[in-house]
Amino acid sequence: MLKVENLVTRYGEKRILNKMSFKLDKGETISVIGESGTGKSTLGFAVLGMIGEVSENSKVEGKIEIDGFDINKLDKEDLRKLRWKKVSIVMQNIDDALNPTITVYKQIEEVLDKQENRNKKIIDILKKIDFPLNRKDAYPHQLSMGERQKILIAMAFISNPEVVVLDEPTSSLDTETKNKIIAIIKKLSENKAVILLTHDISMAKKLSNRTLVLYGGTTVEYAETKKLFKNPRHPYSRGLIRSYPDSSRTKDLQGIRGRAEFVKTGCPFYKRCTQAIDICSIKKPKLLKRNGSFIACHRGGIIPLIKMEKISKNFGKLQILNSINLTLFEGETVTILGKSGAGKTTLAKILMGLVEKDSGNIYLENKEVKRFDAEYYKKVQMVFQDTRSSLSHRMKILDIVMEPLVVQDIGTRQQRTGKAKKVLSEVQLPSSRSFLNEYPHHLSGGEIQRIVIARALMLEPKLLIADEPTSALDASVQAKILKLLNNIQENRGLAILFITHDLDLAKKVSDRIVKLENGIIS
Amino acid sequence: MKKNILNYLIAFFIIISLNFFVPRLMPGGPIEAIYGSEVLLNISPETKEAIISSFGLDKPLFGQYFQYLVSILKGDFGYSFYQNSPVLKVILNHLPWTLGLMGSALFFSTSFGILLGMESGWKRGSKIDKFLLNFMIFSASFPSFFIAILFLILFGIILGLLPIQGARSIYSNLGGMGSIVDIIKHALLPMASLIFVFTPSTYIITRNSMISNLAEPYILLAKAKGLKETKIKYYHAGKNSIIPVMTQTGIRFATRLITGALFIEIVFSYPGMGSLIYNSIQLRDYPVLQGSLLVITILVLVVNIILDFFYKKVDPRINYAY
Repeated sequence: MLKVENLVTRYGEKRILNKMSFKLDKGETISVIGESGTGKSTLGFAVLGMIGEVSENSKVEGKIEIDGFDINKLDKEDLRKLRWKKVSIVMQNIDDALNPTITVYKQIEEVLDKQENRNKKIIDILKKIDFPLNRKDAYPHQLSMGERQKILIAMAFISNPEVVVLDEPTSSLDTETKNKIIAIIKKLSENKAVILLTHDISMAKKLSNRTLVLYGGTTVEYAETKKLFKNPRHPYSRGLIRSYPDSSRTKDLQGIRGRAEFVKTGCPFYKRCTQAIDICSIKKPKLLKRNGSFIACHRGGIIPLIKMEKISKNFGKLQILNSINLTLFEGETVTILGKSGAGKTTLAKILMGLVEKDSGNIYLENKEVKRFDAEYYKKVQMVFQDTRSSLSHRMKILDIVMEPLVVQDIGTRQQRTGKAKKVLSEVQLPSSRSFLNEYPHHLSGGEIQRIVIARALMLEPKLLIADEPTSALDASVQAKILKLLNNIQENRGLAILFITHDLDLAKKVSDRIVKLENGIIS
Repeated sequence: MKKNILNYLIAFFIIISLNFFVPRLMPGGPIEAIYGSEVLLNISPETKEAIISSFGLDKPLFGQYFQYLVSILKGDFGYSFYQNSPVLKVILNHLPWTLGLMGSALFFSTSFGILLGMESGWKRGSKIDKFLLNFMIFSASFPSFFIAILFLILFGIILGLLPIQGARSIYSNLGGMGSIVDIIKHALLPMASLIFVFTPSTYIITRNSMISNLAEPYILLAKAKGLKETKIKYYHAGKNSIIPVMTQTGIRFATRLITGALFIEIVFSYPGMGSLIYNSIQLRDYPVLQGSLLVITILVLVVNIILDFFYKKVDPRINYAY
């Protein structure tokens, strides 16, 4: 019913939408999600053939086909006749989308031309959307936001178009009204092809079958809605979902690092992406089908950072780990929850190469780990359970923090000092000369914890194993350390394997929780 | 609406009170104020006393004020000794000419201004828009009397197409249609000058308002709805664009009445309120002047009441402003 193929729109020199393609059939709803300014509204106007009305020096390329008509090839008059008969829109701006000096009834009526039973039609739809009939002759300013939104929705659906564009239909409404509006939209949009443009993830979840994630005018991911929200594959999709409050998720909100910038070459997201590699800044990734959904990413979406396959470990006759399978993706926190003695620390130590596994394989970035060498430790670092004893009391702070670089033989002393100061400020510690020359026993528990984290971050690892990192701290210091980890994760895309026996804590910090019991993960 | 009318009544009351007190603040006595300063040289003290008591001027001020209010309500605006006739009658002889001239000029200039302004705003940046805008700014920069004189010389004298003075031909025995045509012919030049001077401000306001309305989301929605161009232009954008014109017309009505009537009527010797006021000033016919000002004030108030009424019809939001 609606077919968009290689749609490109430009305002002046600036390209807004970049080769967008999708198809929509009767009864389907597609959500287009993305931050503001990413081109959602432009798509809406393009579907109505209104890009030219929005901006004078605009250009549209590609194909938009509605019911066999190519929108971009119709002349002005044909386009006018097609609008609202075949395709209608609920515009974003509820405040000014209705003419202030015309009654809402008349504003609905005028889309029906001179149809004979128009009064009945209007009354019918007003009843359907639960709009008080005695208010139908009101002027827009006499209605509440919710009522105005209802009018705009009634207007869009009354002419029985085949395609309806909904541009942020609930953005300025309270939750209760929003839910009502969502129910109304659901009721009305049966047998229609609906494009829902929104940044409201909960609404996209409730209304659409498929979701398209737009970044910088480019489709970065396109999948079934359920699949996408449960398991986003593109780093941007995940970032977007993470920054949206959702009562079913207990982890703190995280944003996406940096800000939206216009990128000329390469992947539009590479500057903000935490797993970008060289090619990302040079070549634009193509939208490719992977596992039933489409994704545009040179790395094939969020990469599995570390993968454990059938890891087993016995201490004598005592079986500690029995064929453990666990995968950690880039930028996610997985908590291993279990009682003392369940084998949590053993698993961590196996990952660090401190305890040898009996059987099974470990893969780092899809490559099997044969030896735990310097290269491996550049990517995997650990924060130990007993932090104070993991620091040598004969070394000064600076030397402690610098040590990983010394071991790896990276940089000159000056460079190492510079890096140490930078990382110390990242974990919110002073980097003054006097502080750098302190010995660890002069520091508080919270400071020690930060030092240990700073040391682990010196090599810019991709995975941080944190074994009960806050068990020795009081609640307020713990909260600060956890927030710190959360921020570091947002900025660096750090994956964290968090080990704890505290369920509440686990809920607060992790994307996923796995339970380790009797040597088995569940 | 009731509150509104009350507001106007209060304004009216204040104005007639000012009309009563201001002359009494002028230097010299009431006799001079009424008859001019020469009169004192020619009358005896007894006559003066008689005149003062016949006008009730020896009574206390409050009593005089009350008397004044009662006479105004009765329609007694005083007596003009120069014209030897009651002031009201003098005014009523001149008022219709001004009303006719001003009314039609206002009607045409507002209509032209609105129509051209809408067209110009709709096609902003086009050749027509540029031409109209330049022409309007050009014509707005002339004072009204200059235009009047220009028209008078060009059409009245050089081309000799139209009569150059008065409201109708004197000593002609035209009846019926002939007399109407004659009156229109006489009114044409003053009216044209007035239209020429009045149109630009309405045009510019309509154009600006049209341009800003066209940027509103509801216009975009109207286009999305597939409405016809004329409907968007006149019904959606146009209707909202005349709202500021209405406010402005109300506010400017008084100044327009004075500038229009005074200057233009004098240039064309048109026997309206303008000429009457001008002559009364020269003759120091104070009762007529006072009466004329009162009548003009009432007119301004009435026009504003009418505009208020229409304003609410056009813009329903205005009810909330009170």
